[in-house]
Amino acid sequence: MSEAETARAEAATDEVAASAPRRAVSLAARIAVVLAKRAVLLSVLLAVVFAAIELLPGDAASAAAERGESPADTAARRHLLGLDRPLWERFGDWMTALPTGDLGTSARGERVTDLLSAPLPNTLLLGGAAFALTLASALALGCWAAARPGGPADRLIGLASTVTLALPEFVVSVGLLLLLSLWTGWLPAATMTTSDGSPASWTMLIMPVLALAVPQTGWNARIVRGALADQAAAPHVIAAHLDGLPPRRVLLRHALPGAWPAIATGAATSTGMLLGGAVVVETLFNYPGLGTVLAGSVADRDTPVIAGVVACTGAVISLVLLGADLVRARTLGARP
Amino acid sequence: MSADALAAPRPRRPRARVLVRVAPGLLLTLLALAGPLLAPHPLDRPVTAPYADPGGPAPLGGDQLGRDVLSRMLYGGSELIGGALLVALLVTAVATVLGCFAVLRPTLGRLLERGADLAILLPPVLGMMLLALAWPGGGRLAVIVAAVALGIPYAVRVVASAAAPVAACGFIEAATASGERLWYLALREILPNLRATVLALFGLRFVAAVYVISMAGFLQLGPQPPEADWALMIRENAAGALLNPWVVLVPGAAIGLLAVSVNLAADALAPTAGRTAVTAR
Repeated sequence: MSEAETARAEAATDEVAASAPRRAVSLAARIAVVLAKRAVLLSVLLAVVFAAIELLPGDAASAAAERGESPADTAARRHLLGLDRPLWERFGDWMTALPTGDLGTSARGERVTDLLSAPLPNTLLLGGAAFALTLASALALGCWAAARPGGPADRLIGLASTVTLALPEFVVSVGLLLLLSLWTGWLPAATMTTSDGSPASWTMLIMPVLALAVPQTGWNARIVRGALADQAAAPHVIAAHLDGLPPRRVLLRHALPGAWPAIATGAATSTGMLLGGAVVVETLFNYPGLGTVLAGSVADRDTPVIAGVVACTGAVISLVLLGADLVRARTLGARP
Repeated sequence: MSADALAAPRPRRPRARVLVRVAPGLLLTLLALAGPLLAPHPLDRPVTAPYADPGGPAPLGGDQLGRDVLSRMLYGGSELIGGALLVALLVTAVATVLGCFAVLRPTLGRLLERGADLAILLPPVLGMMLLALAWPGGGRLAVIVAAVALGIPYAVRVVASAAAPVAACGFIEAATASGERLWYLALREILPNLRATVLALFGLRFVAAVYVISMAGFLQLGPQPPEADWALMIRENAAGALLNPWVVLVPGAAIGLLAVSVNLAADALAPTAGRTAVTAR
């Protein structure tokens, strides 16, 4: 945030006390500023991706070329795909069509929206379930550890989260596969899909979700624990403790609210790791998500498909970061 | 041993604890780097049946072509660890210099801050797929370049946040007033005060590099099939895991152990005060 914006935001906070309608207007303005900032960042990212793909050797026309095709045929297809137009013109067209939900046409002539309509919800389901599990277990473990600082549970959770946070998702997947599928036979090792392209049974989600959630839980449990430790030193928490309130109440009612901004930021940074990890885990479990689409389209130099995937994941991450911004704004606004 | 350590027995205990936490990572790294010298078979010659049970010429059984799993294990670690070390060194070095300059030149600082904001929106795996495939013949080098490019934005942020209070100190102002040049201020005045941060940053970048490089190996972006990369072994042999579990279990355990022990070492080396700032990914 620039200095002018900070000053404006501070001025807005001062006015908040004045009246309720004004407060609503300033909140709306603050949200609009944050939204606009996120939108600008996302479009810059897409421009960078467009330019990066353009710099790659080879393009969609030559990647889709069949054996024995003459250079004239490739040039004709290049013209058909519009690849002979300047990059900024194609990027401009693509960006202006974006708000209408049109992600363009792939190098094979399919609509990108159609290509992504089945895998994207599957990946979001996988990532969303892993995110929910991560948040719930990280909060539970972090609070449990913070309730008895320095005790055996605190030390054990601290060690376990340090150990798990560094594990790559595919290593966790291999362990789960061997343990829950090959040796015990409890869960199916690969994902079967129904005719509409979604997983056939919810049991096929258990292992991918666990593989994604375990490392991120380790990471977030540490953040929860650290944020609660910082809050435990805050004057109002010490006062509540000295007033003789039960430790549980002090932890949940007095320490936790102040820890929300740090927890929200930690969870938001996990989103990118979850979506990136999902691409890898999908490969191992044969899960019908964005990973499969992405692997094929990168090999084909299919700019609109890659840009579409980056746009979708970028939009999801932007939304979660926006949520974290709002949590921070609300907590800091409530307690200046 | 320094004199103060002899005089005061108290600092010794944390030092011993640090050593205990650093030792496994160090040992594993040395073992993996020396691995190719210990391997009983060449990495690409079949010595037994595909997915053979452990025993005979292959103590851990055979892989999908009947090659010795133990030998491939011993060959597979050195390049992963070497690559990760190189990435960690490059990221730490570049980020340290950029971070020191960023606090002295606010325009550069804001630019780098925006770059880090941007990098958050691109999951590392997606960025790595883009960059590694941008350079089809690049192999392992392309992965290393991608890992360095993706690691720098966060690392700069960490160094800049640690350097900001140093840059506001009186001795920097005095040096600026006496007309010292920018590079002198950054490298001679600020950098020596960031030793703990830089050391911790190096450890964490090593952890992140092990993650990114093994992920690339698993996605078959870097090392190509005849090579004995641990992550690639898991990907190639996942189909035969039921016939000879060792063929995925051992490389999986090796990567897991490496990641965990390196992380424990980085954690032990991190200064307690700067820990929350440094762990930001």
